[in-house]
Amino acid sequence: MQVSRAAGPPFAGPPGSGPAPSSAIRAPQGPPPGARPFPGSPPPPSQPSPPFARPGAPLQQQSPPQFGGPPPAMASQPQRPGFGGLPSGPPPQVQRAPFGGPPSGVSPQAPPFGGPPAAVASRSAPLSGPPAAASYQPAPPAAVPQRSPFGGPPAAASAQPPPIGGGPFTAAQAPPFGGPPGSVPQTAPTGGLRPFGGPSAPSQQVQFGAPPPFGGPSAVQPGAQPPPFGASQSQAPPFMGPAGGNVPPSFAPPMWQGQGAVPGGMQPSMRMPVMPGGMPPNALGQGMSHASTPTMPYSPHAQVSTPSKIDPNQIPRPVQETSVIIFETRQGGQAAIPPAASSEFIVKDTGNCNPRLMRCTMNQIPCTGDLLTTSGMPLALLVQPFALPHPSEEPIQLVDFGEMGPIRCSRCKAYINPFMKFIDQGKHFICNLCGFSNDTPREYFCHLGPDGRRRDADERPELCRGSVEFVATKEFLVRDPMPAVYFFLIDVSMNAVNTGATAAACSAISQALSDLPEGPRTMVGIGTFDSAIHFYSLRRAQQQPLMLIVPDIQDVYTPLQTDLILPISECHENLEQLLESIPVMFENNRIADSAFGAAMKASFLAMKSTGGKLLVFQSVLPSVGIGSLSAREAEGRSNTSTGDKEAHKLLQPVDKTLKTMAQEFAEYQVCVDVFLSTQSYVDIASISVVPNTTGGRVYYYYPFSALSDPAKLYNDLRWNISRPQGFEAVMRVRCSQGLQVQDYFGNFCKRVPTDIDLPVIDSDKAIMVTFKHDDKLQENSECAFQCALLYTTVFGQRRIRVINLSLSCTNMLSSLFRYADLETQFTYVVKQAANGIPSLPLSQVRDQVTSTCINILQSYRKYCASVSSSGQLILPEALKLLPLYTLALTKSVGLRNDGRLDDRSYWVSIVSSVSVLLAIPLVFPRMIALHDLTSRDDDDSLVPSPLTLNSENIHDDGIYLLENGEDGFIYVGNSVNPLTLEQIFGVSSLAGLPNQLVLEPFDNELSRKVNEVVNEIRRQRCSYLRLRLCKKGDPSGDFFRSLLVEDKAPGGLSYVEFLVHVHRQIQSKMT
Amino acid sequence: MSEFLDLEAQDGIRMTWNVIPGTKQDATNCVIPVSAIFTPLKPNPAIPVLPYAPLRCRMCRSILNPFSIVDFVAKIWVCPFCFQRNHFPQHYSTISENNLPAELFPQFTTIEYVSTAEMGPVAPPVFLFVVDTCMIEEEIGYLKSALAQAIELLPDQSLVGFITFGTYVQVHELGFGLLPKSYVFKGTKEVTKEQILDQMSFFAGKTKPTTGVIAGARDGLSTESIARFLLPASECEFVLNSVVEELQKDPWPVPADKRSSRCTGVALSVAASLLGVCVPGSGARIMAFVGGPSTEGPGSIVSKSLSEPIRSHKDLDKGSAPLYNKAVKFYEDISKQLVNQGHVLDLFACALDQVGVAEMKVAVERTGGIVVLAESFGHSVFKDSLRRIFQSSDNDLDLSFNGIFEINCSKDVKVQGILGPCTSLEKKSPLSSDTVVGQGNTSAWKMCGLDRKTSLCLIFDIAKKDGPDSIGQSASNQFYFQFLTYYQHHEGQMRLRATTLSRKWVAGSGGVQELIAGFDQEAAAAVMARLVTYKMEAEADFDPIRWLDRALISLCSKFGEYHKETPSSFSLSPRLSIFPQFMFNLRRSQFVQVFNNSPDETAYFTMVLNRENVANAVVMIQPSLISYSFQSGPEPVLLDVTAIAADRILLLDSYFTVVIFHGITIAQWRKAGYQDQEGHEAFAQLLEAPQEEADAIIKERFPVPRLVVCDQYGSQARFLLAKLNPSVTYNSDNPPPPGGDLIFTDDVSFQVFMDHLQRLAVQ
Repeated sequence: MQVSRAAGPPFAGPPGSGPAPSSAIRAPQGPPPGARPFPGSPPPPSQPSPPFARPGAPLQQQSPPQFGGPPPAMASQPQRPGFGGLPSGPPPQVQRAPFGGPPSGVSPQAPPFGGPPAAVASRSAPLSGPPAAASYQPAPPAAVPQRSPFGGPPAAASAQPPPIGGGPFTAAQAPPFGGPPGSVPQTAPTGGLRPFGGPSAPSQQVQFGAPPPFGGPSAVQPGAQPPPFGASQSQAPPFMGPAGGNVPPSFAPPMWQGQGAVPGGMQPSMRMPVMPGGMPPNALGQGMSHASTPTMPYSPHAQVSTPSKIDPNQIPRPVQETSVIIFETRQGGQAAIPPAASSEFIVKDTGNCNPRLMRCTMNQIPCTGDLLTTSGMPLALLVQPFALPHPSEEPIQLVDFGEMGPIRCSRCKAYINPFMKFIDQGKHFICNLCGFSNDTPREYFCHLGPDGRRRDADERPELCRGSVEFVATKEFLVRDPMPAVYFFLIDVSMNAVNTGATAAACSAISQALSDLPEGPRTMVGIGTFDSAIHFYSLRRAQQQPLMLIVPDIQDVYTPLQTDLILPISECHENLEQLLESIPVMFENNRIADSAFGAAMKASFLAMKSTGGKLLVFQSVLPSVGIGSLSAREAEGRSNTSTGDKEAHKLLQPVDKTLKTMAQEFAEYQVCVDVFLSTQSYVDIASISVVPNTTGGRVYYYYPFSALSDPAKLYNDLRWNISRPQGFEAVMRVRCSQGLQVQDYFGNFCKRVPTDIDLPVIDSDKAIMVTFKHDDKLQENSECAFQCALLYTTVFGQRRIRVINLSLSCTNMLSSLFRYADLETQFTYVVKQAANGIPSLPLSQVRDQVTSTCINILQSYRKYCASVSSSGQLILPEALKLLPLYTLALTKSVGLRNDGRLDDRSYWVSIVSSVSVLLAIPLVFPRMIALHDLTSRDDDDSLVPSPLTLNSENIHDDGIYLLENGEDGFIYVGNSVNPLTLEQIFGVSSLAGLPNQLVLEPFDNELSRKVNEVVNEIRRQRCSYLRLRLCKKGDPSGDFFRSLLVEDKAPGGLSYVEFLVHVHRQIQSKMT
Repeated sequence: MSEFLDLEAQDGIRMTWNVIPGTKQDATNCVIPVSAIFTPLKPNPAIPVLPYAPLRCRMCRSILNPFSIVDFVAKIWVCPFCFQRNHFPQHYSTISENNLPAELFPQFTTIEYVSTAEMGPVAPPVFLFVVDTCMIEEEIGYLKSALAQAIELLPDQSLVGFITFGTYVQVHELGFGLLPKSYVFKGTKEVTKEQILDQMSFFAGKTKPTTGVIAGARDGLSTESIARFLLPASECEFVLNSVVEELQKDPWPVPADKRSSRCTGVALSVAASLLGVCVPGSGARIMAFVGGPSTEGPGSIVSKSLSEPIRSHKDLDKGSAPLYNKAVKFYEDISKQLVNQGHVLDLFACALDQVGVAEMKVAVERTGGIVVLAESFGHSVFKDSLRRIFQSSDNDLDLSFNGIFEINCSKDVKVQGILGPCTSLEKKSPLSSDTVVGQGNTSAWKMCGLDRKTSLCLIFDIAKKDGPDSIGQSASNQFYFQFLTYYQHHEGQMRLRATTLSRKWVAGSGGVQELIAGFDQEAAAAVMARLVTYKMEAEADFDPIRWLDRALISLCSKFGEYHKETPSSFSLSPRLSIFPQFMFNLRRSQFVQVFNNSPDETAYFTMVLNRENVANAVVMIQPSLISYSFQSGPEPVLLDVTAIAADRILLLDSYFTVVIFHGITIAQWRKAGYQDQEGHEAFAQLLEAPQEEADAIIKERFPVPRLVVCDQYGSQARFLLAKLNPSVTYNSDNPPPPGGDLIFTDDVSFQVFMDHLQRLAVQ
């Protein structure tokens, strides 16, 4: 990470002008926008995108020099060829080695390229293809310049500039590139200086000219070596791990139905010359010295009243990364700085875990609590133990210690990991978490090599990999591993039937049955409910299922102990028939009441002996039985005096009934997912307690449309049951002495302080763990984190997944800022905000969010920035987008004033388990233009570059898609070319647009593209966007505009105004 | 004797005293209470059925009858009960001595009315099956086939419902076409009628009325919602058959050391409430098939742990049956509900062990239900009994519903109560005595279920005070009784049967001979049997043998002829002569000697005793014994061990059991198969004769008796020996003759009993 930038990322120059390296916002005084402060940057002719070097690059570069030895390191080198400095660049072929070679033995089938759709492609042919294919292309070089409206600066800067020997940089890191002499920290403020000298550009060129750093998919180099990543077709299921070889694909990713299918598997795009690893837009720590921080050069005094003088084009905005980064988790004996969560990267686990699995808000740990407090930043881990790997990544290896069980520290019970230090010729080892010296078990003894490592360290995954799985021995079993049980519970009350929700649920389940994991351990059951609960006994011998009704919804019970839940193989046909007849059976149901809570409880009782997943399809406010709810929303409205003051109370669960119930569910390993397809208030605040406590989640379809929502319902269900997941899990995070776990956040049940219980943990769920200091950490030592997850696979094996992260400690505040992980920190902020919503008035939550941002920036301003530019807003490079994201957060569904209660509660419930990857778009959506898809010339990337979120980008003749990972809003301007309408929607006029949008593929280029784009987004988000149509002049159009977070809104500031506000606050604090 | 039988044939009544002791004192002195055993629906083809409403006295509501004094000129009749003069209404204007309405014919003391005016739509009978599933597969198999047969025999128009139970109760919704569907209720909690209404969607889509009785179609329930559970047999035969076909053992696992969890109480409560919701006031029966003790929820009689045995008489005596009283209370509540609704509970209890008949007795008896106790659903006692209920034949039960029994008597006669299958309606009137026996305190009783054999035992109280002016004061020395039975005939219409009778009374010491002449010793035995069993249940620390002995001694003292202190001089009139023997056998019977039986059996015997007529009661008390031999034709012989001979076949009918007992020689011949050989047709006939007789008994009896065919010295022979007078025992001086038998007992023989009786009577 030595690359330091003299100058912060510039605020975009005019588009297409190439990188503008300066990171200072200089409105008035700065060079005129047109002026290119950094002349040197123009891309070399052959090299359209040279400016964007990836941060990853430097990392890899360094490693070779450091320890020349490790092959992986070597391998990576070449990839990162961009810098002149490359002394020993191995031949291109070498580069490939790391990918092609190593895993081959273990996991011949590389997992399909991450996304669910990819897997589909390999599995069930036609439908799935499209998204998968699309996903992996790195952006074509040509596209780059266009895409990033603000010149690549940050990227470019980071990659190319030689490191500046800032204090924080260790000497070791720095050497590889001789920092260009010119790059002086001080340059930044002045803006004139380019941090990277010209020379770097040429060197890059050369590099790019070279053969692709890593082998593309087979398409690229068909004959040559084995495809480095394994052909996508042969992939194992993403989740199978080493065992995958002989096991059928476990998780089929959902198919995105109804979307145009694009054939094809992996895209060849990886071989694009642009390769050099994506650098996250604001990758950390480029600019080391304060000088390099972006500053906002405006004089408050002069400009307070005219903030508009800030050039809106110059303020920090995210830059989309389009190329794949290769990331080694440790280099040179130190943790490497992970790429941004949102970028595409391929991880080589060299000791630390894959950052997808676990990442920290800061990549260096403050030695003291005071330092942490001063920084204003949070210290937290975001753990996503089943995060989908990139298909090219080596799967997590399975280690079987046999009877002995995994080696553990006898004091703190931490699991063996690469950071445990073997001493005394290997006879003892010191636990990296508690420091205890353990005897090495005789069976596990191995001599140490001259380097002090065990000779077998590289052969043993648990000694060289950051994440590894152990086979659980008997002592981890309190009972036989549970079977995979799926119980479907469907609302059949009058409204549910009439709105088509029941039929949609039945059809979704029926289709999804075939996606359940195969094998004798997969069991299913089904129930329906209105004011009573109906079970169905599906004994195979019987011709017809037997319907059993539990009418007592105050004191529920399961009507049978057997026969309600059967192996899928025994009742598949029966079940399908039943699902077909359920909508008919209840066609004339006149019971409007719905006993949701009681039905869950009864189903739970049926599943109690095994545990499993309970999937509830609910359509109305639960009105009777245990856990019934009332229309609090209406009460709140009618009683406005108390309603306003206590509004947040309506976001709390109405009482403890459901919570108590949920805890009992969790105790018996039952996970509840609730699919709410409704047209009215259902009190999500209360309902969501159950899924949130049991490791499930709420799905919300409001207002439910029988036309457009069934497809999403089906896809959500399908992904829900087919994604990688584990059952009856217990998770604990351990950390080095000096720190202690403060709290866990996420969807789980916590019954003892140290562990959390997760009836189900799946690839989409993240858990946030916060830490506090209880002692000092030694500078230059490493602080270790270990997450251990004991779980049962869907095939009934008991495993322990151990995820290790070891980060260095620092006493330098500036290091903290340099190594801050923006997205993780922001995710922390979002989760904290969501946490506060039910207990605080909204305005206070917004204030808290803003002040978190201000405190961090102020700390930086105070301790790390030069005093000189008091009139400037100075942003740490790594966190320069924090204001923008914070602004977006205050305008998000959860924090805006005008949201419906249920929408807000839903948002809160989603946020509780959201991963870093999806937290950002949830708050800061992506907007793209659809109408001109065919005229784009950057055809290699499926999804065009996002537009900034302000209304200037919305034109009346355009069609735009704005998506946040959950919903997709398609905005249609009112003077759109009818031909375009015809092509995309199949209607010839605005008036003909249906309110309930179903995006159908039509036989034309534009429609195909639109569908491709939408499918690609779905793949990226692992979520089937709920598309909604927004028309100008319509309330829906106004709503769409309210999502443009940079705009000034009735209740919120514009981006520029917000920056001014932040700056003022800092100023006032400083004085 | 025969005149009593004639009276019974005409009016279905047997009275202990056909000449009634006229004063309270006289009645008390007579020891045996003035009482009657009345069979309200005794079939008699001679009884006319009048298609009009009866004419009632405007004062006492009694019905015009042959004992009324009619003034044909003034068109006035005088009520014999209250002496009220009533005008005949217009449509009786043509009445004259030569033109009498049927109800005034002297021979029609019993007559029926079918009121055309009252006849609404004919309400079909309802059968709600409540079936236990906690049984071994074999038993379930038997039960299934019995049920399937019953379903076939159901009258087409009758409504049927089906409930199964085990750990939980399942109410099958037979009217749901798409799937087999049932409502499941927890076995641990009682279900109220309101819950049934709420939870079984009777108000789906409609708001429930906040007030008022909600029940039945008349009261706002849609017929469709009722028709989900109760369907005409003709419509649901297929569904019903498939439900029966798929009956399975209760799926809840039962640990080896536990009893099945069986919630009989809740199942019955659900059934009662369901009927209460759907068809209140209309004839319906719950037919419960129970294969074991209730162990779950209210009404359970024993804990699940097998280490705890089911309560015995000893436990009940010692009060160490913790669940007994609670359970009885629970079933009493159910019986109240059922009576309220006019519904019947029938109990078919088939298990080797007890199932709780003793606790459920109250519900069965008060509603006039049928009870059948057998050791297996495969046993003919159960199978044939069940078939008999539905099969139409000459011995039809004529199951009727919803009866109300009312009584009118002359002023000086009061009613203490009724022993028998009915419930007091608590309609207090001057007629009801302050002394209460059985169902009393009323002059009207509910008989939810009754059939042609249901017999009530009415205990009267003679209220007339002794006094000089009492004699001869009244113009006549007749007491009048009128019994009115309203009921839903098995064909559906409502009928009223009126029986009016008169008995002479005598007062003072002069009437002893008249009293003796009017004494019906069989009826008296039956009444004493009902009374003693009633007292055993109702009175704590009651000593039945002592009570019976005292009564017998007092009776003999009063009516016997003897010289004081000279036992040998003692003699009894033929009217009384067999009575001591009845008492001797009653003392030895299962009704009094309960310790050989389980409480369930005792309850069963008592219930049957309490609904049977005099003739059958006598058989229960003192079994009949017929001898078959080559020497003579079939002849009744003494119920004595000396009746046993090697070359005889004995046929014992003890009502519950019919025993064919082959003397040892006969048995050997039979084993050798002589009956199948040519030349031995006579032997074959001899073997067949008792068999035919037994078949005849079995055919007309309900519940079907158990037939035991045994040989002398065989183990089954105990069924005979237990009933015989032990005149020869192991310590008798005279050994039995060759081929004879002896009884291992210390019980006294009849001779000894009589000796003591004579000695005590003459003191």
